[in-house]
Amino acid sequence: MDYVFLIPILPLLSFLIILFTKPIYKKAGLVGTTLTGAAFLCSLVVLFSHFAQGNYLVEANWFSIDTVMISVGLEVNPLNALMLVIVTLVSFLVHMYSMGYMANDERYATFFSYLGLFTFSMTGLVLSPNLLQLYMFWELVGVCSFLLVGFYFYKPEARAAAKKAFIMTRIGDVGLLVAIFLLFWQTGSFELDVIFQAAQAGDIAPSLLTLIAILIFVGAVGKSGQFPLHTWLPDAMEGPTPVSALIHAATMVAAGVYLVAVTYPLFSASEVAMTTVAVTGGFTAIFAATIALAETDMKRILAYSTISQLGYMMLALGAAGYTAGVFHLTTHAFFKALLFLAAGSVIHAVHEQNIFKMGGLSKKLPKTAALFLIGSLSISGFPLLAGFFSKDEILATTYGDGRYVLFVIGLLTAFLTALYMFRLYFLVFLGNRSTEAREAPSVMLIPMMVLGVLAVVGGYIQTNWFGTFLGDWLETTPYTIAFVHPEAPFWIPLVASLLAIGGIAVAWLVYGRKTSIEESNERNGLHTLLYRKYYVDELYQGLFVRGSRVVAYFWMYVDRFIIEGGAAAVTYAVKRFGQAGVKLQSGQVQTYSTVAFSGLVVVLLLIAVLGGYF
Amino acid sequence: MSSVPLSAYLVTALLLFCMGLYGALTKRNAVIVLISIELMLNAVNLNLVAFAKYGVGASIRGQVFSLFTITVAAAEAAVGLAILIALYRNRATVNVDEMNTLKK
Amino acid sequence: MNESFLLTILILSPLLGIVLLSVMPGNHRFINYMGVLGTVLPLVLTLIVFSLFDRTVSGVQFVEYRQWFELMTSISPNEPYTVAYDLGVTGLSVLFLMLASLITFLASLTALRLKESAKGFYILFLLLELGLLGVFVSENLFLFFLFFEITLVSMFLLVGKWGGFNREKAAFSFMIYNGIGSILLLIVIIVLFVEMKTTNITELTMLLKETDSLEFLSGDTRTWLFVLLLIAFGIKLPIVPFHTWMVRVHVEAPIAVVMIHAGVLLKIGAYGLLRFGVGFFPQQLKDMAVVLAILGVINLLYGAFIALVQTELRSVLAYSSISHMGIVLLGVASFNTAGLQGAVFQTISHGLIAALLFLLVGVIVDRFHTTKLEELGGVASQAPLFAGFLLAAGLASLGLPGMSGFISEFLAFLGLFESMPVIGSVGILGLILTAVYMLRAVLAVTFGERRPLFDGIRDLTAVEIVPSAILLSIIIWIGVYPAVLSNTLQLARTIGIGG
Repeated sequence: MDYVFLIPILPLLSFLIILFTKPIYKKAGLVGTTLTGAAFLCSLVVLFSHFAQGNYLVEANWFSIDTVMISVGLEVNPLNALMLVIVTLVSFLVHMYSMGYMANDERYATFFSYLGLFTFSMTGLVLSPNLLQLYMFWELVGVCSFLLVGFYFYKPEARAAAKKAFIMTRIGDVGLLVAIFLLFWQTGSFELDVIFQAAQAGDIAPSLLTLIAILIFVGAVGKSGQFPLHTWLPDAMEGPTPVSALIHAATMVAAGVYLVAVTYPLFSASEVAMTTVAVTGGFTAIFAATIALAETDMKRILAYSTISQLGYMMLALGAAGYTAGVFHLTTHAFFKALLFLAAGSVIHAVHEQNIFKMGGLSKKLPKTAALFLIGSLSISGFPLLAGFFSKDEILATTYGDGRYVLFVIGLLTAFLTALYMFRLYFLVFLGNRSTEAREAPSVMLIPMMVLGVLAVVGGYIQTNWFGTFLGDWLETTPYTIAFVHPEAPFWIPLVASLLAIGGIAVAWLVYGRKTSIEESNERNGLHTLLYRKYYVDELYQGLFVRGSRVVAYFWMYVDRFIIEGGAAAVTYAVKRFGQAGVKLQSGQVQTYSTVAFSGLVVVLLLIAVLGGYF
Repeated sequence: MSSVPLSAYLVTALLLFCMGLYGALTKRNAVIVLISIELMLNAVNLNLVAFAKYGVGASIRGQVFSLFTITVAAAEAAVGLAILIALYRNRATVNVDEMNTLKK
Repeated sequence: MNESFLLTILILSPLLGIVLLSVMPGNHRFINYMGVLGTVLPLVLTLIVFSLFDRTVSGVQFVEYRQWFELMTSISPNEPYTVAYDLGVTGLSVLFLMLASLITFLASLTALRLKESAKGFYILFLLLELGLLGVFVSENLFLFFLFFEITLVSMFLLVGKWGGFNREKAAFSFMIYNGIGSILLLIVIIVLFVEMKTTNITELTMLLKETDSLEFLSGDTRTWLFVLLLIAFGIKLPIVPFHTWMVRVHVEAPIAVVMIHAGVLLKIGAYGLLRFGVGFFPQQLKDMAVVLAILGVINLLYGAFIALVQTELRSVLAYSSISHMGIVLLGVASFNTAGLQGAVFQTISHGLIAALLFLLVGVIVDRFHTTKLEELGGVASQAPLFAGFLLAAGLASLGLPGMSGFISEFLAFLGLFESMPVIGSVGILGLILTAVYMLRAVLAVTFGERRPLFDGIRDLTAVEIVPSAILLSIIIWIGVYPAVLSNTLQLARTIGIGG
């Protein structure tokens, strides 16, 4: 357990080594992969020693505010031990994959140094025992995301996307920051333990607690791309595909869900906050799923799918399904990373992202196609795959919590998920369009295979049939959270499976049987609405971007005309006054002295008349 | 034995000063102006010496002061004449009216 | 504490450089190097002071006291007014001292490219440093004022002679605004002197605190004095609407001077506000805290909004300085330890970050001959190192955790949220805007398509990398380990609040 500190340090080392040693340029991938792999092994050790030894916490003083000592530390509890394994595993696999994917990029080493920095920040985030430290890493992962989205800095779209990603998440971050301030003044500490104890003891007024929980959730909304702060995530697909797999599918965007899970005692104390989380999650899930139906860019479909699945997790957490949310986070990390890596393999092979311009790739890329199929089945909730179990858990909790509307939405989303995933799959891999393509090298295939296996078997850590290992372990917390385990009706998994298969079938009917489908430019109203993503981007553009520019110009003119004008007016007045004075100056010394002398006489007379001082 | 009263000295000094002042303020020729200033200074000297003898706190200080004044006046006259000569070389005039460049 | 001459030697140390420079011929090839060397001695001495500074005891250290002159007045013939020459440093001033000599040294490096009349430049530059060091070690208001004026004069000449196209206008508006500030400051000093019979800062702080019974000054007088002080230092800080001079100076002055100006000179405003405003008139500050906080929010948002639409990099940075100084005001207004600590942190941190940013702007001016955003772009292709530094500096400026900007903003807002959560909530929107304008400006320079026009541009040279790297590492050091500031600062002891 005392080796926990190695987990963030190793990737940091990778970042620093690659950043500061130019000669190992071509070896950067190897260095990064090795060090992240070592970090992954450490995480595994930590995970297993957690089974034996339980929670672990080490802290050191950092600096002081007044008499309050702010500390930094590392904490291992079930939730973050699990997250550590997910993060380091996916990061390791993505490192390895990138050695193939980025091989010909001229900023190869830079890419790996960024990946190292990201892994460091993400593990640091997960290990934080206090909110201040968590927030710092929270922002750092945001910056890494920003750097990697803008990796192709010469593309204007990448620049815009990077900026957007940073700013949109920062809007959420500010909410989290305010929540941290409020908590500090309520409890006098940033330590999660102290805060939870205070919340449990009722030291925080209920209305304030609700406000704080919602503000924390705002942070999570920004990071996890939930509605209404979701628009940055699809744009973030401008980054290299391995990055999309690592940051924008498996780890960083899940940090929002993780945040809610970490601060769960605060949420569970407030019914309003829970409902907010559940409704936002449910709405986002179906909202993003519908957009994914009309999207034509392969990576963007996956991005909307990520948003939708993250919404699912939020829905679970809001419906008191702590385990369900975390469980889905885990399985999602596996199958979504797999999907992105497989998509990357396709893009690497054909240099094309529009699904209507691809087709018949299963013959050229048989391994990629098979792996992609596994991922698609898993995410669609095909029976007995990882996604099936976690999705089922979510639906059961939602039903058990009595949120029937959200339950129906969840079911609908499951159907839509299968539909858009297989629309993508059929269009890209079936049909008989022939494109030049070569299967990816094994350095890219191996990580995908590992993920493929996990996407199949990952679900068996928490099933009603073999045992609820994950749940039993996760729920060992000292705080009395109302963990709900409703008896789920037997028909839920059945209906869910039927809907998934139904979705696949519909996709087959529409897209699967035809040999090649051209992208049609004729769209009816609904299709256009979906295709334009409900015009959210346009709305924000008009409302906030334009709005702030208008305000900015207003103030700029105030600055230019009123403030500077005012100063100029004063200057002018002084100048005129001076000019009037100049007229008195004849340059005749004798005149001056006459005036001065007369003045002296007047003063003397006054003194004489008034007697003494005035 | 005080035959001449203090007031006589003061009136003389006053007349001297007024003459000097009149000259300094009205004469066009810079040399005359300088001489007038000397007159004013001498009026002051007269006052100082008179007070040194007949003043309330009569003491030698007044005379010492006047000695200083005389020295300073000499120096001042020298500097004044030097400036005047420099000006005359540049502007070819000693007319005070034409020396109005202070204006700008 | 034993009498030592360390501080006197410190403030006089730039004179050595001045003397050596003035005997060198103006066209000597090593004249620039001599100028740089001149700033090394003060830096070394400051480092000595900084390391000898005892962080475990409270109060003023390295005190030097000499009677200077006495004034007899008819008002109190038996008690002469004594003006003394006394120096000393507190935890607060030692930090500013360090900032001043470090940034002066680094700025002098950037002036190495100066070709014409470098001799005069460096002499004035060292004079400016002398003034700066003096301001921060003065233990009495007369000396403070004296050194303050030295900085004004040398700054005026530096801007007016070596500035850009509109240098004279910038120099004059600098002089006029700051002159007005000085007059107000002088009024405050004189009133305090007449009433309290001392100008020693520590003594005044003690006296004014002990005499809450208003034995010396009535509440109204104190309020007026505080307002005057606020305006005097507000012009320096600057507080909107007294900021136009500062934008002009930022745009026109030579880069080395802007580095000092943004990095240290503006910080005199914050220093004065903390040392005198908070120290002398805590009650008045508390009464006017809301006004201060509103001013702070206005500064923060006003600067940020205008920075958003500037088309020229220097203007963006100038308005960003205004915005960041708003956070200092917010920290002061919150009037608790967290807030005040945040204000000090922000001042120091912004000093470092602004210096770094302007250093890089200097590189832009040198290489690209323009600072217009639309004429730049894609620089990361040709000068990746430069782009990396600029991006890092931009991120530091927008308050990235792990860099000094974050911890200062965090503390300032933390403090503000205790006393004024509503104003805090409005102000915190500024953090979003900061990200928007900073990224906009930085990315406009570094990101974007490669421009063939810039092919063959030199990346950072060693003499540019060294100062940038020093600044950046200090920024990160403070961000990762803020105790380095808070241990020295000992806020409760220095200003005498909280605790």
